[in-house]
Amino acid sequence: MNPHIKKVYTPMTETAFYILFCLKSPNHGYGIVQKVEKLTDGAIRLAPGTMYGSLSKMEKDGLIRFIREEEKRKIYQITDLGTEVLQIELRRIERLYQIVQEEMRNGNKESI
Amino acid sequence: METKKVFKYFTIFEHEKEEDYLREMHRSGWKFVRVTGLGIYHFEACPPEDVIYRLDYNPEGLNHKEEYVQMFHDCGWEYIQEFFGYSYFKKAADETEGDEEIFCDNESKIQMLDRVRRNRLRPLCVLFGCTFLLVFVIGLCNNQFLAPAFLIPMISVYAIILIKFGLQYLKYR
Repeated sequence: MNPHIKKVYTPMTETAFYILFCLKSPNHGYGIVQKVEKLTDGAIRLAPGTMYGSLSKMEKDGLIRFIREEEKRKIYQITDLGTEVLQIELRRIERLYQIVQEEMRNGNKESI
Repeated sequence: METKKVFKYFTIFEHEKEEDYLREMHRSGWKFVRVTGLGIYHFEACPPEDVIYRLDYNPEGLNHKEEYVQMFHDCGWEYIQEFFGYSYFKKAADETEGDEEIFCDNESKIQMLDRVRRNRLRPLCVLFGCTFLLVFVIGLCNNQFLAPAFLIPMISVYAIILIKFGLQYLKYR
């Protein structure tokens, strides 16, 4: 993987992660906003400035691709590169979670 | 309908101050209509209301204006106009909780500052460099060093702009 992509996207922001994750199936910006709101029970509400900036950046970097336009809304989908980046992130978060769980089980609660 | 025009100058990194200003005006019964020229703000008398104003700087968005504006519209933001690369949006405060923003993380706020820096600050710096050289060359030709009279005020203005940019940046870091 291109070092630039690795540097910019790993680790990635929570916002970027959700956007990329939602684009496993084709969707447009506002569709992603709604989906994330539903997935997180309203805890995360993506804002349009952030969304627009992220989508154009990810498209430029080849993580997602433009599929078609519907009623002035651009529909995107994740690419192979995007899937790869998402996997790297998932593994990182998984490791983080596992380490913390293990530490807690070993009774090192005070160190958390 | 009663209207008024106010000349107000905000430097390039003071968009938050500008947002607060427009909100305050609307609260005191003056609805922002448009900004023209070098910063003439047109207002219209209206019942006082709490309306949130937000500015985005996104040249890419302006190149694809329809879908850019559509995304903000979907999220409940009304597009007002563009001015020197900035897009103006508004939303009534009672349609939302708290001070809703158009950016939901600091990362994307920094990215906006970077876009401003690339598109606005860089040309300014080039201009500064050219002026500096010109003044220097003229000074040499006349066999006298005129520079301080020109350069001191100029350097001060640039220093203020750069410091403001730095402060804005630090705020989001």
